[in-house]
Amino acid sequence: MGIKRYIAKRVLQAIIVVYIVATAVFVAVRSVPGDPARLVLGGTAEPDALAAVRAELGLNQPLHIQYLRWMSDLVTADFGTSIYTGEAVLSRILGAAEPTLSIGLIGIIIALFISIPAGIISATRRSQWEDHVATGIAFLGISMPSFWIGIVLLLTVGTAIPSIPSYGYAPINEGLLSWLSHIILPGLAVGLPYAGILTRMTRSSMLEVLNQDYMQTARAKGLSPRLVLLKHGLQNALLPVVTIAGILFALLLAGIVAVEIVFGIQGFGRLLIRSIERQDFPLVQGSVIVISIIFVFMNLFIDLVYMSINPKIRYGSDT
Amino acid sequence: MGTEYDNYSPDTENTFFGVRLDRFDRLRETISADRKALFGLITVIGFILAAVLAPELAPFDPMAQEYTIMQPPSLTSAHPLGTDSFGRDLLSRIMFGARISLGVSLGAVFIAAVIGVTLGLVAGYYGGLVDDTIMRFIDVLWAFPWLLVAIMLVAIFGQSVWNVIIAIAFAYIDDFARIIRGEVLSIREEEFVMAAKSIGVDDVNIMIDEVLPNAVAPLIVQFTVLVARAMLAESTLSFLGIGVKPTTPTWGALLGQGRSLIGQAWWISIIPGIAIVITVLGINLFGDALRDTFDVRQRGGS
Repeated sequence: MGIKRYIAKRVLQAIIVVYIVATAVFVAVRSVPGDPARLVLGGTAEPDALAAVRAELGLNQPLHIQYLRWMSDLVTADFGTSIYTGEAVLSRILGAAEPTLSIGLIGIIIALFISIPAGIISATRRSQWEDHVATGIAFLGISMPSFWIGIVLLLTVGTAIPSIPSYGYAPINEGLLSWLSHIILPGLAVGLPYAGILTRMTRSSMLEVLNQDYMQTARAKGLSPRLVLLKHGLQNALLPVVTIAGILFALLLAGIVAVEIVFGIQGFGRLLIRSIERQDFPLVQGSVIVISIIFVFMNLFIDLVYMSINPKIRYGSDT
Repeated sequence: MGTEYDNYSPDTENTFFGVRLDRFDRLRETISADRKALFGLITVIGFILAAVLAPELAPFDPMAQEYTIMQPPSLTSAHPLGTDSFGRDLLSRIMFGARISLGVSLGAVFIAAVIGVTLGLVAGYYGGLVDDTIMRFIDVLWAFPWLLVAIMLVAIFGQSVWNVIIAIAFAYIDDFARIIRGEVLSIREEEFVMAAKSIGVDDVNIMIDEVLPNAVAPLIVQFTVLVARAMLAESTLSFLGIGVKPTTPTWGALLGQGRSLIGQAWWISIIPGIAIVITVLGINLFGDALRDTFDVRQRGGS
């Protein structure tokens, strides 16, 4: 299969995934037991107000019309408006995205900084004490919930170093240092479990590469072991790790949401939890759709980048 | 993505649900030789005992309130792990919380296993269009952040144990489907499968009797690892207040309730967290020992 066809196929698949998700959300919201408008407004609402909310949610029309409207709204990137604030859902989500993305970014950077050296040491010193220590710590990392690490960091680092704020967020355009000091602890909280996963991945990827023929050839040519490791080993071992790191960004989402609550940061997590507590259906369904779209297309993007830097990958076959 | 796995023997005499008995001997060897594995096994047993026997072993009623609130942990007091802001015994609450953690994570992973294994078996066994369709569906599940499934379920149907179980189960269906499909592809052409086919055994029976037992080992390993992840997922949802009902003492909920009090009473959130970490770590280490024993290779990707 040619590369263009492969890209076209992957994009089409991504669109189908989004379509299925959108349909699932549509069905889910319509299967609310009872009247969603009454859930939104509470039991004592006036009939007029109920009718207005039903119209706002599009629930007063036949199902197939509702479905067509829902899909056409999606195509035009119209995700509705929040019942409570009247703001467009999309701008609410984008407005809350900066803290969430910042925490995720710092988390990934911290994780890579820890896991790549740890994984390499672990693989090159296999079964020695360095490997046992690194593997043990990695296991500990994957066994800790991010929000708990956050609380522990607040109690220890937060109280020991008063200059690190333990609450809230400072936008990046108000100063890099202040931004960093606000998100360093949340970033650590999501980054440490992530580092555990990536350390194990780097280790096994590195072990696999160390056994390859070209490594032996390079050593046989008389290159120093360090050079062989750095030049041939790392390059080949880290590609999958970095790719996985990108794809797993999505996995960070749950951790970030919880860590935002710990540190009182007004990000996407706060927004989601608020919108559930208030039964703000347009905001909930809009968030689900927007996140799914970001998710699916980010994976697609990473996949294509990976493919373009790794010529070995074959298009189209998945076994 | 097939794995080389030497247990293709169709004879089931020396097997237990398809796992050769000598592997259990090897598991015992691994565990007695490796302190990490031993720690894992002890933790898993202790956790299950605490959960199952909580009504008998817990020193207090987990809901009983006392006037002396927020007592710090002390080995000499009646409340060794302290009390919370309502004067409830933290040790008893953690023991009862273990029941929820165990029930939710086992339930979720079990449902995911049943659905995932069925999908993977059918996809791998029939191949072709069936395979393509099922695997695209699996891709959709994979691409869907489970937290959002949970949020949608809670927003729509309210908080309940079942919604939490379903939300977490959703996230793991694809893991099981992929594993079992790989195994099926690698043993589909084996002689004993062909033989069963040739004597007219129907497809469902072949899948259940011949194919499935040969894939049990990687499934057990995956099951164990996912139970650990499900426990973390449950605690995250409870912490966020979208898990099991807030009044139920789950580990995540205990931690969440203690969060606003960490200045005055650190133990209310730190101690349930330690319970989570020790248990999840134990299950992970035990799973790793199983992986070594059953010689299941780690797959790339997740």
